[in-house]
Amino acid sequence: MFQERTKLAKDRNPEDFLPLTPAMFHILLALADQDRHGYEIMREVDERTQGKVRLGPGTLYGSIKRMLGDELIEELDERPDPEIDDERRRYYRLSGFGRRVAVAEAERLAGLVKVARTKKLLAGHRLTDARA
Amino acid sequence: MKTNPRLSHRVYELLLIAYPSEFRSEYGSLMSQLFRDRYRHEATKHKLAILFYWFAVVNDLVVTAFKEHAQKRKGDGFMHNLRRDLIGLSACVAISVAAFVLLSYGRSHEVAPILLFGRILDAVATAGILGNIIVFLLVKVTKWNPLRIALWTFLIVNLVPAILLALVGPKIDPQFRLAATLISYLVSFLFWFSLHYAWRSADTNAVAKS
Repeated sequence: MFQERTKLAKDRNPEDFLPLTPAMFHILLALADQDRHGYEIMREVDERTQGKVRLGPGTLYGSIKRMLGDELIEELDERPDPEIDDERRRYYRLSGFGRRVAVAEAERLAGLVKVARTKKLLAGHRLTDARA
Repeated sequence: MKTNPRLSHRVYELLLIAYPSEFRSEYGSLMSQLFRDRYRHEATKHKLAILFYWFAVVNDLVVTAFKEHAQKRKGDGFMHNLRRDLIGLSACVAISVAAFVLLSYGRSHEVAPILLFGRILDAVATAGILGNIIVFLLVKVTKWNPLRIALWTFLIVNLVPAILLALVGPKIDPQFRLAATLISYLVSFLFWFSLHYAWRSADTNAVAKS
């Protein structure tokens, strides 16, 4: 069963999942470096974006539901630190396929930034133009 | 601004009813816990932070509850069912309109065979249009058994006018025939309910075969 699922994940093309919704991409970014529970994901996104992106409970768990369904993330059976943590919390981890999708989305966005740079739409270019 | 965390938490838990039951049972407690954790964090900020937080939470709830319901309906084959039910409703309304047109023609041209069934056509037309629209709406917005909806709706839309006519009819029309009126609404009820019964049976068989 596990082998079948792994094989299915391998067969899937990350490009088919693009573009990701901003909420989904932020969740993947939050899980890229460590496993987290819902509130931790929310706090990480909030801090990383200096409060510009705030995931509400509905957006967060709606996205988590879809990402679990698409096997971009997986729910952990064990909590990383059971002694200090609330046992009602659920922890999530980026799956191998989820990481590939996150990389593909990051590359897609990087491509867009490159286009914006050539069109001189980035702040750095505007400053350069103003000085000139 | 004075805040009451326990009351806010209770209100949020009540608002979670906006989500589909499956989603609520899977994520409701986690969302509630998330709300509480965030609420505590916001309460440590400036005075209006809780107000802004509530505004954001309600906005999030409205948008995502709508999205979850839409996704659930998509998963349930809602659009397919909607198309099929609209065809059924159109057919029923067409039958009612046909009964009404036939009755009007019979009255204007005094066609005896049509007039013989005049009361029945009248009952079928009036109860049919109203009843079928009610059945369609109830089937779409509730989870009740469609056949049970049809039974009670057609019972009510036939019984109410029959009782009203039985009470008022003799006073406004000396030639009013109570038995004929009651029979016509009984026939109308049997006709519409049988039609819905046949429709739902055929539908169940089709689903079972597929």
